[in-house]
Amino acid sequence: MRSLLWKEWHEQRWKLAFMSVLLAGIAFTGLHARVIPDETVLLSIGVLAVILMPLLVGAVLIAPERDSRTLDTLLALPTRAVQILAVKTVIGVILCVVPLLLTCFIGVGMAGGRELLSSEIISLFVKCGLTILALFFWMLALTIRLPGETRATLLGLGVLIGWMIITLGLTEAHGADWSKPIWLLNPAAFIVGSFDNGVSAWLLPAAAIQAAIAGLLWFWASRQLSEQEAH
Amino acid sequence: MSESPVIDIKAVVKSFGGNRVLDGETLAVMPGQTFAFLGRNGAGKTTTIRMLMGLLSPDQGEVRVLGLDPRKQGMEVRRRVGYVAENQAMFGWMRVSQLMAFIAPFYPTWDNAWAKQLADRLELPAKTRVRNLSTGQGVRLSLALALAHKPELVILDDPTLGLDPIMRKEFLRDLVTYLQGEHVTVFFSSHLLYEIEPVADAVAILDRGKIVRQAATEDLRAKVRRLIVPIEAVDAVARLPGVLDIRESGRQIAVISDDADAAGAALSRAGVHVEDMPLNLDEIFEAYVIGRKEPVHAKPPLERVA
Repeated sequence: MRSLLWKEWHEQRWKLAFMSVLLAGIAFTGLHARVIPDETVLLSIGVLAVILMPLLVGAVLIAPERDSRTLDTLLALPTRAVQILAVKTVIGVILCVVPLLLTCFIGVGMAGGRELLSSEIISLFVKCGLTILALFFWMLALTIRLPGETRATLLGLGVLIGWMIITLGLTEAHGADWSKPIWLLNPAAFIVGSFDNGVSAWLLPAAAIQAAIAGLLWFWASRQLSEQEAH
Repeated sequence: MSESPVIDIKAVVKSFGGNRVLDGETLAVMPGQTFAFLGRNGAGKTTTIRMLMGLLSPDQGEVRVLGLDPRKQGMEVRRRVGYVAENQAMFGWMRVSQLMAFIAPFYPTWDNAWAKQLADRLELPAKTRVRNLSTGQGVRLSLALALAHKPELVILDDPTLGLDPIMRKEFLRDLVTYLQGEHVTVFFSSHLLYEIEPVADAVAILDRGKIVRQAATEDLRAKVRRLIVPIEAVDAVARLPGVLDIRESGRQIAVISDDADAAGAALSRAGVHVEDMPLNLDEIFEAYVIGRKEPVHAKPPLERVA
């Protein structure tokens, strides 16, 4: 397990550095310049993170190893596919959370109590983080059998656009009864909740349901990885 | 008491989509054997090996490796088997020493001193990144990784693919000499028969998902021979059992039989003069997989006409 963690860390650390520098850099520059309101800067970073991070992490967690055929080498080692996936998931979650945490610290440190309360900034990043993690599991599961980073990224993009369209439809429904249960399934429920108090009430049940969906998606992905018959 | 096979495959069937890759494959490899698993490209060799490693499961039939079921006890099988895959991909960013350190914890029997010895003997540069190794060094690295945990069985899936002929020869000679000395069972898949012939104790020929022959190499060479008879003996030849290939050459017919002694005796009894010629493994393999079994003057089947 430690060996696998070491390998994954070495392979993914530059991605972590890139995303941390990107998000924290934008936050620092935007909050320091004060050309636009702090809320706009932080929301823009949140939206950027929600779009970029699941794609850069979740959609391409396995595909490069399929491309280079090193996945076959890993699966031929005396280890279980589920262990390989668990390690990749842990590193993927770290990749999603750490840049956001860093940006949150910068946001609170530079802008907490200025135009927004520190708790508001933290709440925004927690909601973004939950959305990113929910999308991460969707992308991980749906791209797990895809060879090729480009195809995996395109499918990831499709997932993202699909949920965006659903979110748009739900927002247009203006809280109609039929739309409420669908919000629970929507990874974007967390972040949309930051604009709409009516949806915020759904946050906890949505988090519980999203966690269950993530678990199911992960279980399905591990089964897919164990079964290599299609190759 | 007779020893149980190290590899035991019984009536295995495996399909991908509608394509039946293995069709009732059956073979057994005994302890200490250097076993050549022969077949053309696409015959099902790699599918068989992936089943042995627990990376695929059969649709029907039974697979046993070291007495274990690879599908249910894949971890244990992979711990005890050294495996070199066809065109094995490694992690290019790792240095040779890092790759060894990465692989070592997966094997409880990994021997660091032995791994170092292997790396030295195979002239592997410890500080070089894997992506900068030559093809030959890459193959030798895969081999070092497969042997460093002192496996009971070594499975090699066309490991010399991509090596030049001299390297292939050296690789095989060094590897098999070493493994035979250690009494390690070697299961060796290849379609380059001239390489296999000097080192294999036993062979199995896989054709269209079926084992068409399994025998000790010497037995096979002793039994399967070419018989040259005059063209007038065409009727006697047509009645011979165990014919693998019949070819007409001028006023003569060349027959390859999988029981040349019996075929030769039958022809002699019929008063036919028989010239007997030994075959190399390459020719025997060819006779089994692409041999023409019809009588010389028979109409060719439609697909051949097409």
